[in-house]
Amino acid sequence: MEFSPGVRAVDNASFDLQAGRFLTVLGPSGSGKTTLLHMIAGFLKPSGGEIAINGRPVDAVAPHRRSVGMVFQKLALFPHMTAAENVAFPLKMRRWDPRGIPARVAEFLDLVRLGGYRDRRIHELSGGQQQRVAIARALVFEPELLLLDEPLAALDRKLREEMQLEFRRIQKELHVTTINVTHDQREALVVSDEIIVMEGGVIQQYAPPLAIYRQPANAFVAGFVGVSTFLDGVASPAGMRVGGTDCAGRQALPLAEGTPVRGALRAEQISLGPAGDMLAGCDTVLPGRIADMIFEGERLLYIIDSDALPGAEIRIYHHDPTGFDLFEAGAAIRFGWQAQDLKIFKTGRKEPTGGVLQ
Amino acid sequence: MTDMPGPVSRLRYPLGWRVMDALERGAGILWPRALHRLTGWLLIAPALLLVAVLCLGLWRIAQGSLHVLDRATFLPAEAYTLENYRTVLDSATYLKIVWRSLSGAFLTVVFTLLLAFPYAYMLVRTPSPFVRKALLAVLFLPFFIGQVVRAYGWLIILGNSGVVNDALGLVGVTPMRLLFSFPTVVFGLVQYMLPFAVLLLAPALTAIPRETEIAAGSLGANWLQVLWHVTLPMARPGLVGAGLVVATLALTDFAMPAMLGGGSQDFIANAVYDQFFRTADQGLGSALALVLVALGSVLVGAVFAAFGAGTLAMGGKR
Amino acid sequence: MKIHDTGVSRRAILRAGAAAGGTALLGTLPATRLWAQEPQKPAELIVRAWGGEWVEALKRGVSDPFTKATGIAIRHDLTEDNEIQPKVWAAVAQNRVPPIHINWDTTTNATKSALRGVTEDLSDLSNLAGTSELSKPVGLDGYPIVNTYGYVYVLAYRPEAFPDGPPKSWKDLLDPRFKGRIALYNDGIGFHFPAQLAGGGTLADIPANMEPCWEFCRKIKEQSPLLGEDPDFTAWFQNDEIDAACTISTNALAAKRNGVPIAWTVPAEGCKFDTDGLWIPKGLPENELYWAKQYINFAITPEAQQVWLDGLGLPGVVPGLTPPEGLAGDPSYPTKPEDFEHLIRVSAKVQVENESDWFARFKEIMQG
Repeated sequence: MEFSPGVRAVDNASFDLQAGRFLTVLGPSGSGKTTLLHMIAGFLKPSGGEIAINGRPVDAVAPHRRSVGMVFQKLALFPHMTAAENVAFPLKMRRWDPRGIPARVAEFLDLVRLGGYRDRRIHELSGGQQQRVAIARALVFEPELLLLDEPLAALDRKLREEMQLEFRRIQKELHVTTINVTHDQREALVVSDEIIVMEGGVIQQYAPPLAIYRQPANAFVAGFVGVSTFLDGVASPAGMRVGGTDCAGRQALPLAEGTPVRGALRAEQISLGPAGDMLAGCDTVLPGRIADMIFEGERLLYIIDSDALPGAEIRIYHHDPTGFDLFEAGAAIRFGWQAQDLKIFKTGRKEPTGGVLQ
Repeated sequence: MTDMPGPVSRLRYPLGWRVMDALERGAGILWPRALHRLTGWLLIAPALLLVAVLCLGLWRIAQGSLHVLDRATFLPAEAYTLENYRTVLDSATYLKIVWRSLSGAFLTVVFTLLLAFPYAYMLVRTPSPFVRKALLAVLFLPFFIGQVVRAYGWLIILGNSGVVNDALGLVGVTPMRLLFSFPTVVFGLVQYMLPFAVLLLAPALTAIPRETEIAAGSLGANWLQVLWHVTLPMARPGLVGAGLVVATLALTDFAMPAMLGGGSQDFIANAVYDQFFRTADQGLGSALALVLVALGSVLVGAVFAAFGAGTLAMGGKR
Repeated sequence: MKIHDTGVSRRAILRAGAAAGGTALLGTLPATRLWAQEPQKPAELIVRAWGGEWVEALKRGVSDPFTKATGIAIRHDLTEDNEIQPKVWAAVAQNRVPPIHINWDTTTNATKSALRGVTEDLSDLSNLAGTSELSKPVGLDGYPIVNTYGYVYVLAYRPEAFPDGPPKSWKDLLDPRFKGRIALYNDGIGFHFPAQLAGGGTLADIPANMEPCWEFCRKIKEQSPLLGEDPDFTAWFQNDEIDAACTISTNALAAKRNGVPIAWTVPAEGCKFDTDGLWIPKGLPENELYWAKQYINFAITPEAQQVWLDGLGLPGVVPGLTPPEGLAGDPSYPTKPEDFEHLIRVSAKVQVENESDWFARFKEIMQG
């Protein structure tokens, strides 16, 4: 970790986490999430503030005396030891009764489904198996807190998704309080009980996955989680005005008319129909033209140009496989949305909700 | 001008490309494609030749060791004999010198690694580029000075009227002999070997991710346990490699025993020198030299047997 | 002088014969005199020499005047004497031209080369007629080497460490207060013979029974002596590492000239006396051999010796030299027969045949 003088990697990141929950800190690289994790683990000292685990302040406690298990970005397994020796390491260091160690190691290797690999060296294990050793090693000594520092970042997608579920299963089984750090929004949504979105060292929003997705606290969260279309304009009584077009929407906080605002629309919450379709149920319906379409397998992403919304690039998901070939590039269409789906935020300043769980 | 595409405008290649093409064609004539399998051998041929010349020299030395010196003519006697080896084995002096060389090399390895490890660790782990550069500079400076000048420096520093004794004199300690003893020789060797050891250890330590040590800490190991259970075992290839290099250099050293030993702390190389250049007995000198070669080979062989040739990152798995 | 090798003939003069060749006077000749039958002159001659004051003295006394007289440049090769030896031997063995024309060497080392047959005979040098018998190597036929001066392995000491006057006997070094404060050559050279006497033996027993010598060496070993080579002694005296040493007087003289308070003496048992010489390796072209001989011939003229040996502070091999300042009557500068009474001289032949055994024995005791 390197800090430029005067720049804070983590600034005012207060939050409380209930025991037994699975929290994910989500943010782009450089957002301060790894720093936060290292401070919790004790590798870094916060310049101010307090960290407490189960109510006990741990700031003065050295890392090796904290009851914190950590799975590292590059796993940091011990290459000169077998899988079992890796898992036994924290027990030996923490002076567990030596007679109980083999059984406990076996139990945890079974937990991560590596029962048959105890005597393998680390380099003899596959990437996924190494992940499992790292998890077993971090959990075997019953830490009060488990920290995951993007351990899945290097895996291919299929293995990553498998391990996400595995993390979740193990966490539920052991009820260990877990803080996971990632820049992968899908991982955050899949595994977590709660999510903190961080940016620039500041907590942007702290909420359960569904709330993060459905009620983003600001434009950054809306942009970082899910695929959104952004509209820039000014506040109006009905929502916002882009150029000469009125757009129905909900303001996060009541705003004076004419305030510069930015609106966010989820790609799956925009309806699409052929020219002339009235799109029943939508509060705003506008004409447009298919600029491009991108086939993503389980869905199709349309990119729409609209003269009514100059400068905006509207992105719409289409999930109906039978309707994949409804429109061709260049076709005239109509699109629309319900007022509740256009989230309107004040421009120019983020409005983090801080560390209070919503 | 015409827009008609035609064969006239052939693409112009830069001159450099043409030169390279010509060279390649030339090389193709000199070294046909069919021989490309052998290119590797061609490239190591000079090195092999050098080794061959060394082996030839060793062979001549081996032959020389089988003739005793005829002191009436100061020529090697005609007859083949193992007499020179018997002289070496029967001589209490030479056994003493061999033992001194071995124990000196062993102690040098131990102390050098003890000093080099923290130094290399600091060098690798320090977050400050300035500190790293300073450590490197301090390390390399003695390299440029050379062994003999350094040994001479110790004569000045540790002499009876040297800096150390002057300092001791200030606190009322009478001057004492710090030079010309076995510990002084080992001291000089350690100081001489330190840069080698640090430079051999540094890459091995660089290969140990900082994260692994942090991980060990978070798993409950204090710094000493991290060092013992994680850092040292993972640095083993570097430690063995550095130890081996230091051991062979110390075992065969000439200058430190000659200059800091006060004449009574000879190593094998000094005994070889004496036979070649002082008593002109090249046969006995050759026999001693071969004993030295044998000792070194046994040492290296034993280390390879114990730790595997992979220790020096040669082929073996880590 | 105690010469123990009685079997050696002391044929004094083989000399004048070949001298008539017209070059006899080269040593004294004016630079202008040239002979038509002289072989062609080489551009330069290479003389191996010891560095420092040694080569400076040689240059002043011999090389520069020789160049002036003949026009032949002299290049001094400062390769160590014991390192040039195998090179010369190898060159002769392989019928190559040797790397040097003239070797300035200890008589003992030169004798090894003579025994090996790599030296040219120098019996025909005209100026040998004017030299004392010191110039003749003892125990060898003819003049494979010409000795050019003698020197004494004195007992050098710091007067302040010997308040009661100079040490009377080598046994005085066994005093416990000199533990770690005495120095010898690392092969014991110069010390063996006085030790033989100090240990209660006789010179006649050399080399048959050297046990008294070794017994004395073992006692000296208890004193933890420093063991070194020529430059070490000067440095050690200078740096206050030692109080006494068995060393060539020249080193002691050098230290004294450098301002180190030092004196030297010849104790009751005596001191080893030895000589250095010049010789020419075999395999040189005729003309170069001729001029190399002229160089040596010049080196044993009184004029050359006077200047050369003033620098070294050593007694030469021609009578009538003026001793350097302060050395007249000094034990390290023997000239008269009575000066030699306490000096021990052993034939080079006995020395070369036994010296590696003596060195080995000495090392065995000192390295133990």
